Amino acid sequence: MVGRLRGLWRLNQRMNQWRAMRAVREALRVAYPFILVMAFVDVVGQGFLAKSGFFFHIYHVGQWLPGIALWRQGLQAASVVVNGLVAVMIAFTTGHYLARTYHTEPLAVGMMSALAFLTLNVNYEALSQGGHGNSAHFLFANLGPQGIFLAIIVGLGVGWLASHLMKGLAKWGLRHRQTPISWTGRIAWSLVVVLTLTVVIGYALSWFIGGGINNLVYLALQTLNTNVGHEGLRILAVTALSNCLWWLGLIGPIDVAGNSSVTSLQNLAYAAQHGSGWGAPHPITLHTLGDAYANFGGAGMTLALVIAIWIGSRQPSYRRIANQTALPNLLNLNEATLLGLPLLFNPVLLIPFVVAPAVNMALAWAAISWKLVPPIVYPVPRTTPGPLVAYLGTGGDWRALVLSLVCLSVSVIIYLPFVRLLNDEGGADHAA
Amino acid sequence: MRHSWWRWLLVLLVVLAIFVPSQIWLKQRVTHYKSNYKTPLNPTIMVPGSSASQNRFDALITQLRKETKTTHSVLKVRVAEDGQITYTGAIKRGDNQPFIVIAFENNRDGYQNINKQAKWLNLAFKDLVKTYHFNHFSMLGHSNGGLILSTFLEKYLAETPRVRPERLMTIATPYNMESDSTTKQTAILRELIKGRSHLPKKLTVYSVAGTENYSSDGTVPANSVNQGKYVFQNQVAHYTQITVTGDNTTHSDLPQNKQIVLLIRQYLLKEVLPSKERLPVNQSRSSDINDTDLP
Repeated sequence: MVGRLRGLWRLNQRMNQWRAMRAVREALRVAYPFILVMAFVDVVGQGFLAKSGFFFHIYHVGQWLPGIALWRQGLQAASVVVNGLVAVMIAFTTGHYLARTYHTEPLAVGMMSALAFLTLNVNYEALSQGGHGNSAHFLFANLGPQGIFLAIIVGLGVGWLASHLMKGLAKWGLRHRQTPISWTGRIAWSLVVVLTLTVVIGYALSWFIGGGINNLVYLALQTLNTNVGHEGLRILAVTALSNCLWWLGLIGPIDVAGNSSVTSLQNLAYAAQHGSGWGAPHPITLHTLGDAYANFGGAGMTLALVIAIWIGSRQPSYRRIANQTALPNLLNLNEATLLGLPLLFNPVLLIPFVVAPAVNMALAWAAISWKLVPPIVYPVPRTTPGPLVAYLGTGGDWRALVLSLVCLSVSVIIYLPFVRLLNDEGGADHAA
Repeated sequence: MRHSWWRWLLVLLVVLAIFVPSQIWLKQRVTHYKSNYKTPLNPTIMVPGSSASQNRFDALITQLRKETKTTHSVLKVRVAEDGQITYTGAIKRGDNQPFIVIAFENNRDGYQNINKQAKWLNLAFKDLVKTYHFNHFSMLGHSNGGLILSTFLEKYLAETPRVRPERLMTIATPYNMESDSTTKQTAILRELIKGRSHLPKKLTVYSVAGTENYSSDGTVPANSVNQGKYVFQNQVAHYTQITVTGDNTTHSDLPQNKQIVLLIRQYLLKEVLPSKERLPVNQSRSSDINDTDLP
């Protein structure tokens, strides 16, 4: 075990040497403060003000807060701008940092990669309708958190390409003194090349699938997801796959399990007639396992990660980020944690990120099959603190609460060795 | 570590501040779901009048199927004098608005018989609820069928507390039997008025009368139909009286009268009719969507 952890540690160290990995980490580090602010805006907006918010319900916010519509709109405006464009920011910062390592024009390359990312998410269908329709010019869904993976790829690709183009043009200019190529020329020509490339790719892809590149992955996953059925093993596999994708920055494909799927409604119908969830028609679903027991803090049980960092981490930056993102994690809004640590592309944390939810789901699966706990049947707001989801969803069954706490402890125990392993990671970039 | 007990206290307070109100909220939600839950199955129970069999509504149902373009499946139930129940037809899978026609072997007129028939209706109804697990339904009664349904609602519905009637439409139901009098009450009317406080408070009732002339549809006096107000008014949520005149308004023609078929579609089946067919009075109500109001 120790030997294997050592190997993992070496892999982590080696990956940290890669230019691309450093660029990604740096890009996420720069974007983190923005994401943190937005996480708190979401805590207030989604948890307290939205009609589906947990605290909105339990504190009856709608009854005593004057002008709630105004509050909602104000927060929504902020959320739409920053949360909605977080992927663009990351495309910029990734390209920017990569260009800096190549010693070219970081700001120009950053902007170039942001623009390149946008061209990949232009709504080409709207353009072909003459551009005067009501539909938006951009596929806005892809500019938010779910576009982060593509943003990183584009940032890396454009950062590399543009830097090399500029260097090449500079060399060419030196060799052909009679036709000098100016600073403007170098950037303009690189931009032309980059945009031509991405527009062609984007347009070609829009022939095959509406909704841009991202949609392809999301569609594939969603069909997988909607066909999960009740088989426990398949549910486990889909969740593990989904968590791997979260780790890559493909955030949210299986976010939609939810209270309103057909099986959940049938369970609710049963409970409304019989008074409890015992004997519900669909005891094992993604909702009764995943949403109830494997989603504390969001995908990958990040609430357990935060607790594990409090217990076992000696990295000041980790401890700081854990403190800052604890509250959003309590409401299952964990983007700030994922991007802040960063958990994304971190090979050490990938293992518990996938294993912890899987173990929890297996535990819940066993407990439900052996009739130790009833499945959750009542709809629960998405921002409900993780350990309470099962308790509230079963209509207040204390056994579900106990199982939730067991799941949380097990996850903390799973995360702990990996968090301790990262204690040895040293150096300058974590002292900040 | 001097401040550590402060921290623990804070954590405890936060946990309590979340746990206690959520506990209260939970209780509210669970009762909300229990009381507001509606099964997708929403049958319409039809009871024919005296001397009619379980096939009495065939013409009406054919007409309804043709006009609504939905295959309302039909289950026909016949209750024998000894309480034996025989079924013909079936509720098709996926059909959430079936018709259930309940008729009786003893289908004779008269106070005693109507009371017996209400009792038999209850037997059949309980059996249906047990088999099909619906918890809301609507009713259509023609002639004495309306009396049987009203008696059933007052005397027997309480035996199945979880099932809620939503709408009742009676067509030419003689609440005061054959009496044309507006002052003298027959035994059945007296009994219905006496028990009216047992009527479901959320029920919506439509009483449709047909008239050939100014006083009767040929069999039932208009005054007798009008006496229904003494039973339902101020007892149920809404009570509406409608009088239909014109062609096909003799007592036995009424169930397949075009205007009445439209009334059934609009008020009893809660169809959204195209505006040219819609009858002038219109109240559109919330639909029966299972809304969890949480995404």
